[in-house]
Amino acid sequence: MGAVTTTFVDNVRERPWRAFDWQLLLYVGLIVGFGVVMGYSASFNEAGQAAGGISQSVKTLLWVGIGFTIFFVAASIDYHWLTTFTLPIYIGVLLLLVLNLLIGRSLNGATLSISVAGLDFQVSEVSKVLMIVVLASWLSGRREKIGRLSTIVGAAVLMGIPTFLVFRQPDLGTALVFVAILVAMLFMSGASIGWMALLAGGVVAVAPIAVNALASYQRARLFCFLNPYADPQGACYQLVQALNAVGSGGWFGQGLTAGRQNQLGYLPVQTTDFIFTVIAEELGFLGGLLVLGLFALLLWRILVIGWGARDALGSMVAWGLASMLLFQLLVNVGMVIGIMPVTGIPLPFITYGGSSMISLLFRMGILESVRIHARKQTF
Amino acid sequence: MADLNEGRIDLPRSRARLIAFAVTAAVLFAALGGRLFQMQVLNGSLYADRAVAARTIEVPIKAPRGLIFDRTGRPVAVNVPSWTVDAVPADLPAVPAARDAVLARVASSTSSKAAALKQRLEAFRGSPYDQVPLLRGITRDQALLLSEQAGALPGIVVQVDPVRQYLDEAGKVDGSLLAHVLGYTGPVSQDQLNALAARGYLPDDSIGKDGVEASYEAVLRGTYGAQQVERDASGRPIKVISTTTQAVPGRNLMLTIDARLQRLATDALTWGMRAAGVKQGVTIVMNPQTGEILAMVSLPSYDDNQFATGISTAAFNAYLRNPNHPLRNHAIADIYPPGSTFKLVTGTAALMEGVTTPTQLWPTYGCYQIPGAPTGQCLFDWNHAGFGPLNIEQAFFRSSDTFFYQMAIHLGIDRLAKWAYNYGFGKQTGIKLPGEASGIIASTEWAQSQGRANVFTGELAQAGIGQNVIAVTPLQLANAYAALANGGRLMQPMIVKGETDRTGKLTKVYQPRLIRKLSASGPTMQVLRFGAREVVTSGHAFNIRDVPLPGALSGKTGTAEFGTKQSDGSLPFHSWFVGYLPSRPGATDASLEVLTFSYSATVPGNVSTEVVKYFLQKYFKVQRDYRLDPRTLSLLGGN
Repeated sequence: MGAVTTTFVDNVRERPWRAFDWQLLLYVGLIVGFGVVMGYSASFNEAGQAAGGISQSVKTLLWVGIGFTIFFVAASIDYHWLTTFTLPIYIGVLLLLVLNLLIGRSLNGATLSISVAGLDFQVSEVSKVLMIVVLASWLSGRREKIGRLSTIVGAAVLMGIPTFLVFRQPDLGTALVFVAILVAMLFMSGASIGWMALLAGGVVAVAPIAVNALASYQRARLFCFLNPYADPQGACYQLVQALNAVGSGGWFGQGLTAGRQNQLGYLPVQTTDFIFTVIAEELGFLGGLLVLGLFALLLWRILVIGWGARDALGSMVAWGLASMLLFQLLVNVGMVIGIMPVTGIPLPFITYGGSSMISLLFRMGILESVRIHARKQTF
Repeated sequence: MADLNEGRIDLPRSRARLIAFAVTAAVLFAALGGRLFQMQVLNGSLYADRAVAARTIEVPIKAPRGLIFDRTGRPVAVNVPSWTVDAVPADLPAVPAARDAVLARVASSTSSKAAALKQRLEAFRGSPYDQVPLLRGITRDQALLLSEQAGALPGIVVQVDPVRQYLDEAGKVDGSLLAHVLGYTGPVSQDQLNALAARGYLPDDSIGKDGVEASYEAVLRGTYGAQQVERDASGRPIKVISTTTQAVPGRNLMLTIDARLQRLATDALTWGMRAAGVKQGVTIVMNPQTGEILAMVSLPSYDDNQFATGISTAAFNAYLRNPNHPLRNHAIADIYPPGSTFKLVTGTAALMEGVTTPTQLWPTYGCYQIPGAPTGQCLFDWNHAGFGPLNIEQAFFRSSDTFFYQMAIHLGIDRLAKWAYNYGFGKQTGIKLPGEASGIIASTEWAQSQGRANVFTGELAQAGIGQNVIAVTPLQLANAYAALANGGRLMQPMIVKGETDRTGKLTKVYQPRLIRKLSASGPTMQVLRFGAREVVTSGHAFNIRDVPLPGALSGKTGTAEFGTKQSDGSLPFHSWFVGYLPSRPGATDASLEVLTFSYSATVPGNVSTEVVKYFLQKYFKVQRDYRLDPRTLSLLGGN
C-alpha cells in the first residue's frame, strides 16, 4: 500500500488533474443521463401511470451517484494499483462465478445475480471489468514473447475458464463479450495474426457444439433474427415486437413516454436488454443516431486515451474497454434491429442495472486514471 | 502523440492495428446507423403497420336484440339494462386460495353462493381474457357495493348489460303469460358456440333458447358490428381506434298473439283446471281463415324472466322435476289421443271413400262385436244402450263410437291414415316454434315398423274414434278443425305476424301460408260442419248453447280414458273441446276458433267445454255466467 500512497501524493503534487479528460466525462455523463431518461420512459406505462417508473428512476439516480463517486475515486488512484492484485482478482472472479452457479438467483431461467445484503449483485457484469484488468496485466507482462503462440493460448486459457463458467449460468451474451474482449485485446497487444486466425478457425469449427449445448429456447431465439416473421407468435415474438417498435419510430419517434409498443407492454425486458427499442420508437432515427454518435465519441476518446497511455497496461485496459463497449453496442443494438441474434447483452450505461452502472463507471474511472497518469515520467 | 511513447517501458504499440480497430468500429457504426435508417426512415411505415396490426384486434359490437310485440302493438319482450358481474380469469389471482377469497367476497356482496360462482367460472372454456358471466341481474346497490371494493376484487368486472325482460298484457314484468310462445334467451352453450362461432357468436353471447326467441333468432339477433381496439401486451383492451362496421339492430317482431286474449284464455283454463283438479291444460285460440294463433296457453307455465336473468340450478331442477312438465309447450310438443274429435277424419274418409252416403243409416250397438273375433269380444260404445240406426251426421253429433268403429273397419287402416294425413295429422304443422311433435297415425307401415304385419282389427276400430293408436298435438287438432271451419284450406299455423318498427307498428307482414287444400269435397265437409253445429245445439256440448254468442258456435268434444285406475276404479280422462264461430250453421266464415284440452281430469264432465264456454263469455263480455261446476255436473259421463 505504501507505493500506492506515494504515487497518489506525487500526482497531487504535480497537479495531474490537469490531464483529466473532460470529454470522456462529458460523453459518459450524456449517455448516462440519456439512459436515466429512457429508463424512466421505459418503465412508465399507461396502466401504471409511472407507478414503478418514479421509484426505479430514483434508484437509478442513486446508482449513478454512487457510480460517479467511484469514477472519481478510481480516477484518482494510479491504475497500476490494480496489477498488485491481479492474481487475487482473478481467483476472486472465478470464485464468484462458481458461487453464482451454485447459489445464484434465477432470472428468466438463468442465474444472473447473487443477492448480497438485499442488493442484486450481477457477477458477470463485475467480472467483465475485472477480467479486462487481469488480461491487460498478463499481456503487458509478455513483452518480447507477445508474438508467440503461447501468448494466445495462455490468454485463451486465462479467459476461457470464466467464459465457460459464465456460459454455464447460462449467460451466452456475457460469454460472447469475454470472447470479444479476448480477441480484441490479443489483436491490439500485437499477438500473431496468423496464429489467431488459425485458432479462430478452430473456434468456428466447434461453434456448433456450443450452440447445441444451449437450451432449446435460447437456440430458437438465437436464430430468430435470420427470419423473424416466420414465427411471429412463438420464439420470435419478442424480436418481432421490437422490430415493429423500432420501425414505427420513423424520423422523430413517437415522443418520450408515448411509444405505443413500449407503453402497452409489447417490448420484452424494455428497461434492460431492449432499451434501445424504446429509444428508437420514442425518439426515432434521430434519437438512435444521437445514441450511436455519443458512443462513437466515447469510443474515440477511449482509443485516444489508450494510445496516449504511459505503458502497455494502460493501453491494454483501454483496448479491453473499447472492445467491450463496441461489442456490446453492436450486439445489443444489432439485436433489436434484426441484424444480430437475440442474446442477453445490455446496452452499456443505458440498460438499467446497479452493478452494471457501477462497474462501468469504475472502468471509466480507471480510464481517467490511465489518462491522468499518462504523462508521468518517473516510476 | 509521438512524445507519449517516451516513457513506455514495455510493449510496442501498433498504429496499423489501432487504425484497423478504428476502421472496424467505424464500419460497424455505419452498419448500425444504416440499418436504423433503412428500418425507420425507408421502411418505417411498413413496420408501423405491422405494429398496429399486431396490437389491435377486431372486437365485436353487439347489436341490440329485436323487440317483440303482440298483435296490438303491446311490447311483450324488451331489453332492459341489467347489472352483471363477470370474471376475467387472466386477471383473477392465480393462487387458488386468493381466487376463492375474491369469489367469496363477490358472493357475500351479492347474497349469492361462492360455490355456484366457482362452478360457473370453472365450467367456462375459452380464452382467459374472455369475460365469464358470473351473475346477472344483481341490484344496483349490490353493483355499487362491488364497485367500491374494486381494489380488492381483481379480475371482477361489474357492468351494465342489456337483458331480456318479458311483459304481460298490462306491461307488468310477468314471464309466465307468454313463456311458451316467447321462450327465452340464455347464455350460448359450448355446443352451440362450436356450431355458430363462424356466424359471429361470442363466448359470452346470448341466444334464443326456446319459443319465438329461438325460432326467430336470426331475425332478432341483428348483425354485430366490429371495431378495431388496441390492446396491451397482456390482451387488455386499451382504446377504440376505429369502428369497422356498425352493428345493425335486430328486427322487431309482432306476434299473432293478442296478449289480452292470452290472458283471458289463461284465466279461463286456470279456473277450469282448478275446478276439476286437472294437472295440465292447453287452450289454443286461432283465426281459422289465416292460421294466425291468437292465444296459445299451456299450463302449468314457467317464468321465462328467470331464465333471462340466469336461472339458479335449484329453480331449474324444480321445473325439471315437476311431473306436469311446465317447461314443455303441451300445445305443440306433446301428443295425446284425440278421442272423438278424430271422428272428423273418420267421417270425412267414410264419405269420401264411399263407405257410406250422407243419408245411409247404420245400426249402432251398446257393444260392437269385432268381426272375426270370438263372440263376446266386443268394443263398447260410451253409450252402453246404443243409439239405434244413425246416419253419419247424427252419429257425429251424438258421437256414436260403434258407428265409427264400423266406418273404420270398412275403410281399413291405410285409407283412414290417408285422410288423417290430409288433415295434417302425423306431421308437424310447421308453426315457427321449436320442439313441435309429429304425432302418431296408425297405418300398415306404422304397424310394420312396430314389428307386426298390420294393426289388429280392434286397434283399427279404436283408431276410428281417435283412441289407442292415434296421437296428435293439440295444435294439429286445432288446425284440422280450422280447415273444416274455413272451407277446406289447411293453413300453416302462424305465431309471428310480421316485423315492426321500434314502436310496434307493423312494417312488414308475413303472409299466411296454405299447406294444402283438403281433398274432401264441399258437400262432405258441409255434412260435418252441420254435424259440428249440432254438437253444440243438441250434442255433447249442449251446455254451451245457452251462452249468447254472435254466431253459430260449432265444434266437437272428445274424451279419452287413459292411464291407471284411480282408487275408486275410474280412469282419468283427457277431455277436448274444439269450437269455431261461423256466422250461421255450415258457413265457412269463422274467424275465431278455440280449442281446449285438459289432461288428467277425474271428474265426469267435459272440463274443456266449460273452459271454452268461460273464455267465450269473457271474450264476448257476456254478463251472465253460464259455467257449471265440473265436479257436480251430471252430464252424460262420456264422449
